Amino acid sequence: MTKADKLNQLKMKREAVELGGGKEAIEKQHKAGKKTARERIELLLDEGSFVETDVFFETRSTDFGMQNKKVPGDGVVTGYGTIDGRPVFIAAQDFTVIGGALGEAQAKKIVKVMDMAMKTGCPFISINDSGGARIHEGIDALSGYGDIFLRNTLASGVIPQISLIMGPCAGGACYSPAITDFIFMVEGIGQMYITGNQVVKAVTGEDVTLEELGGASVHSSVSGVAHFKYSSEEECFRNVKKLLSFLPDNNLAGIPSYPVNDDLNRLSPELIDIIPDEPNKPYDMMEIITRVVDNGDFFEIHKDFARNIIVGFARMNGKTIGIVANQPNVMAGSLDINASDKAARFVRFCDSFNIPLVTFTDVPAFLPGVGQEHNGIIRHGAKLLYAFAEATVPKINVIVRKAYGGAYIAMNSKTLGADIVYAWPTAEIAVMGAEGAANIIFRKEIAQAEDPITFREQKIQEYREKFANPYVAAARGYVDDVIDPATTRPMIASALEMLAGKRETRPAKKHGNIPL
Amino acid sequence: MKKFLIKVNGIQYEVEVEEIGVSPQTNINYAPAAPVAQAPQAKPAAPSPAPSPTPTPAPATTQKPSEPTVSKEVPAGAQTVNAPMPGVILDIKVSVGDSVKKGDVLLILEAMKMENEIVAPTDGTVASINVSKGASVNAGDVLVSLK
Repeated sequence: MTKADKLNQLKMKREAVELGGGKEAIEKQHKAGKKTARERIELLLDEGSFVETDVFFETRSTDFGMQNKKVPGDGVVTGYGTIDGRPVFIAAQDFTVIGGALGEAQAKKIVKVMDMAMKTGCPFISINDSGGARIHEGIDALSGYGDIFLRNTLASGVIPQISLIMGPCAGGACYSPAITDFIFMVEGIGQMYITGNQVVKAVTGEDVTLEELGGASVHSSVSGVAHFKYSSEEECFRNVKKLLSFLPDNNLAGIPSYPVNDDLNRLSPELIDIIPDEPNKPYDMMEIITRVVDNGDFFEIHKDFARNIIVGFARMNGKTIGIVANQPNVMAGSLDINASDKAARFVRFCDSFNIPLVTFTDVPAFLPGVGQEHNGIIRHGAKLLYAFAEATVPKINVIVRKAYGGAYIAMNSKTLGADIVYAWPTAEIAVMGAEGAANIIFRKEIAQAEDPITFREQKIQEYREKFANPYVAAARGYVDDVIDPATTRPMIASALEMLAGKRETRPAKKHGNIPL
Repeated sequence: MKKFLIKVNGIQYEVEVEEIGVSPQTNINYAPAAPVAQAPQAKPAAPSPAPSPTPTPAPATTQKPSEPTVSKEVPAGAQTVNAPMPGVILDIKVSVGDSVKKGDVLLILEAMKMENEIVAPTDGTVASINVSKGASVNAGDVLVSLK
């Protein structure tokens, strides 16, 4: 064999691998409305930046005719490249190669890029499109999952991990995305379920389609498993890039900073008008958030899940902040089980990656009800308190209206360790609403009054004037200052600047025991 | 039709429960806080002529259309809009047959001391309205159905 032949041989071998499952399988993939693994990588990464790893990695399985079967790339394309010039590692399952089923070799390839991502401190992205474990390989395939889960867990809080569900992701395979930080799903093609609809039907008799069981809509609105849902792969990739623009490469890297053309001292006199005159009228908290942050650019996470709380990324002075805000428009902005889980996980992500937290509080209470109590609002609500208390990043809270009872304490209160708490003059910070409080404090007096109704009204009014304002809390230092809403942006910006060098240590321990 | 006398915090309410055939519809008419016995023991100071101890039947609770009602009947195939939390229906903004767009306000649910707007989850036509003004609802109760 001449050198030229050898070169030629390499070229042919590489081409064979790059063709994946072959022309027919690629056509089938396209017909299903899906792109191939290589097309996806090309769309997501900067042009020409992709460098493939383990091109010729092969399965060593010889059972059930596997020795005669060609499995190019073993059903996954792995490697690294850049997004907006920043390095990332990627593993994209190739459905055209025996359904992207995960065997020992595929797992080894994925694990290798995960280890490299950890070593170099770069984000890891996995694109999931696989039928599940490769049954021919038996327990070796299962162990492959274990290897990946272990690395997902070790990498958690060290590098951002993002999962894109662009095909089936069934059974145990779901738990890799589930451990990662963010899950994107594409409508119509992405599905996640632990047991398929046929098993569900056999066991419980419930008749559902796979889409109803574990489609993008279900997971982004009902179960909360997915953080983002998009209608096309292109739109999904655009938003993965947008998300990455807010994130640092790893837990020791600084948060990304961009040039700003939005004046830090910009006043927003219209903010006060967003709060209705009557305390029982709702409004859209988004109106406040988008008027405060740089250029009104807010990237919402979990948009359709637990909509009574809003979480997402924005920038102040060009630097990433994490926002948590109650949404009075949905369920009066009360905290329920799902809202607590959603916000707690977000707070912990921000704390892991040194992203300062800004909260906007308008919370009437934890949601009452038998359902909430029996499903463990105590256990779930505790996560939110724990997450805020545990976080050592700069924590700023703006109380715009209601802050009542335990929910007030849970929402990044001074006593949980918030660095700066501002209140608008419209704030009502109290142990409970005036009606309820008057009923309890003056129960006997109301019962004995000549005119109980007027007397009760009187007492409610009295209580409201005395406590439903920010000044009692400010007099105790629970609120650092009562500010003109128009100045919210400059006040937050200045607090963030002041807190930039914040250092806060926690007692040495292996890790805390967050109530799960 | 079954009649019940229910005593809550010393105030008696007369409640009528009617079972209609196989249909799951139950019409529970909460007599509007018609205190049968006496005003809450508010005026012990002025013992007025002995309040009649026998509960006089509450003012008729027979079905007036204005009574708050909750029904579970939903046209087949319609998508239901359920109460996100317990509360009282303050206002209904649509009627059966109206076509609505996603995000349109269907009704106002007063809960957590807030007038919560319940909006249409999708575009559609109002197929049924299962509650009336003033009705108390629990989390999960069907409020409106859309087709």
